[in-house]
Amino acid sequence: MNRLFLPEHAAVEQSLRGLALAHPHLIRLHQQPLYITARHRHAARRVGLVSGGGSGHEPLHCGFVGQGMLDAAVPGRVFASPHNRQVYEASRAAAGPDGVLHIVKNYTGDRINFRIAAERLRADGIAVRRVLVDDDIATDSAETATGRRGTAATVTVEKLLGAAADQGTRLDDLAALGTHIASASRSIAVAARAQTAPFRGGEAFQLTDGTLEYGVGIHGERAASTEADTGFEPLVDRMTQQVLAALPPDTARVLVLVGGLGATTLLELYAVYTQVCARLAEDGVDVAGRLVGTFAPALDMSGFSLSLTAMHDTWIDLWNSPTRTPAFPVTEFPR
Amino acid sequence: MSIDQRRLMRTYAHSVHMAHNTLTALDQLSGDGDFGDNLCEGLDQVTTALDAAPTEPAFTIAARVFLDEVGGTSGPLIGLLFQEIAHALADHNSEAGWAAGVREGLAAIQRVGEAQAGDRTMVDALLPASDALAAGGDAHASALAALNGAKATASLRARRGRASYVGERVLGAPDPGAVGVALLFWSRAKVMEQEPGVLADILSAGQGLIPADLDMQGG
Repeated sequence: MNRLFLPEHAAVEQSLRGLALAHPHLIRLHQQPLYITARHRHAARRVGLVSGGGSGHEPLHCGFVGQGMLDAAVPGRVFASPHNRQVYEASRAAAGPDGVLHIVKNYTGDRINFRIAAERLRADGIAVRRVLVDDDIATDSAETATGRRGTAATVTVEKLLGAAADQGTRLDDLAALGTHIASASRSIAVAARAQTAPFRGGEAFQLTDGTLEYGVGIHGERAASTEADTGFEPLVDRMTQQVLAALPPDTARVLVLVGGLGATTLLELYAVYTQVCARLAEDGVDVAGRLVGTFAPALDMSGFSLSLTAMHDTWIDLWNSPTRTPAFPVTEFPR
Repeated sequence: MSIDQRRLMRTYAHSVHMAHNTLTALDQLSGDGDFGDNLCEGLDQVTTALDAAPTEPAFTIAARVFLDEVGGTSGPLIGLLFQEIAHALADHNSEAGWAAGVREGLAAIQRVGEAQAGDRTMVDALLPASDALAAGGDAHASALAALNGAKATASLRARRGRASYVGERVLGAPDPGAVGVALLFWSRAKVMEQEPGVLADILSAGQGLIPADLDMQGG
């Protein structure tokens, strides 16, 4: 039976200690309550960028703390929201002269805890705005009030907003930009095998041979539908077309994020990327930027997500601006 | 008239302890049954902190304890109510300050939880109490409004919070969060009233929510 290699007690705390020990020049660990802050920030930055959420999605969010991205990140337990006190203390530590921007994935627990923290910050006289990321088209249903889940496109939002914050963008403008990016970003994910249950071991749910979970999230829940596996090319083509169809109709260029869900290899992810590019070329859509790798997994689920962001002209420079964080890959500098 | 925050908080802690079993029973119908425990433990921590910090305003202490230490979602939401009351009383320790704090606390809770009137949450006790205060009502009037609001949740289906998962199974019993908040206004009326007899109509409004012998107990 498969198992995860985690200590029985305080697994998240121990992992965070390791992250800080491995990157002492980039980030600082705070233990009471638990959060991570950046050691350095751009002199022009006026707004502290703070994100967070359940653990099990590493390197999201703590791996993206540092110059050019987040000023602080707050981890919850595995697949569980952080406490409002962590968000509150991290935000106080990270606030800039214009205040704090919270980047929140759309989950009920995260929404409530970030909002409670925001009320506390406002009572302290610190301005707060929020960007809600809700990119997952599998949960796009008019029937529920909870809306689409927030998944891998959170990485794109954190990168672009980090670069914009380094240009000295004011709080309201940064919040508007983040909401614009989130509204231009959509994702879908597929899984072939469940993640390992973190402390009891074994697969969290069983899939029968020859089927796929189409439309999974990043919290290890089953998808809305279990479907017959029709093969690699039809699967990737369908995902690409479905996400593209969810973007604004005049979309001419996109940012592509092919994200592993934890157990899927780079051998696979780059093969997926090639197929996505081929499909986009047939549809006459340009690729203005890309990210291929594991950035927002569901522990060790076997599967991948495809996120597309309809790119505004001014966002390309933001995407290509440098970062120094534990986990964001150095981007290309085409000019 | 200025507000004795410490006396009010101790009376509230006492009232909640008396209603502990009722709150637990109500929460077992719709949630995981820990609301009464969380509220009691939180208020115990507040009373301990009151003794340890004799000069700090009681609602400031209560806000910190409920926001930082109390589990569940209801605890931190009640912490926001305490935070706004603490702020408003720091500006004006008066009936007007109390009314402003309740109004701002309600607004903060609604911003966070997105609950409207009739969603079967603590808002259904807090909103009528705030409205009564805004209309110039006194502690007595706002306690009546809060208790009647809490009682009326018995006929509401939940649309927010965990009770929303169990649908019509909770009909007939009031929402524990609404009862817990209503007890704050009941406690304020109790602190204010000189004549014990005038509590009678509040007690009848609180029938089933307030243990019968609560008015006989000291604050």
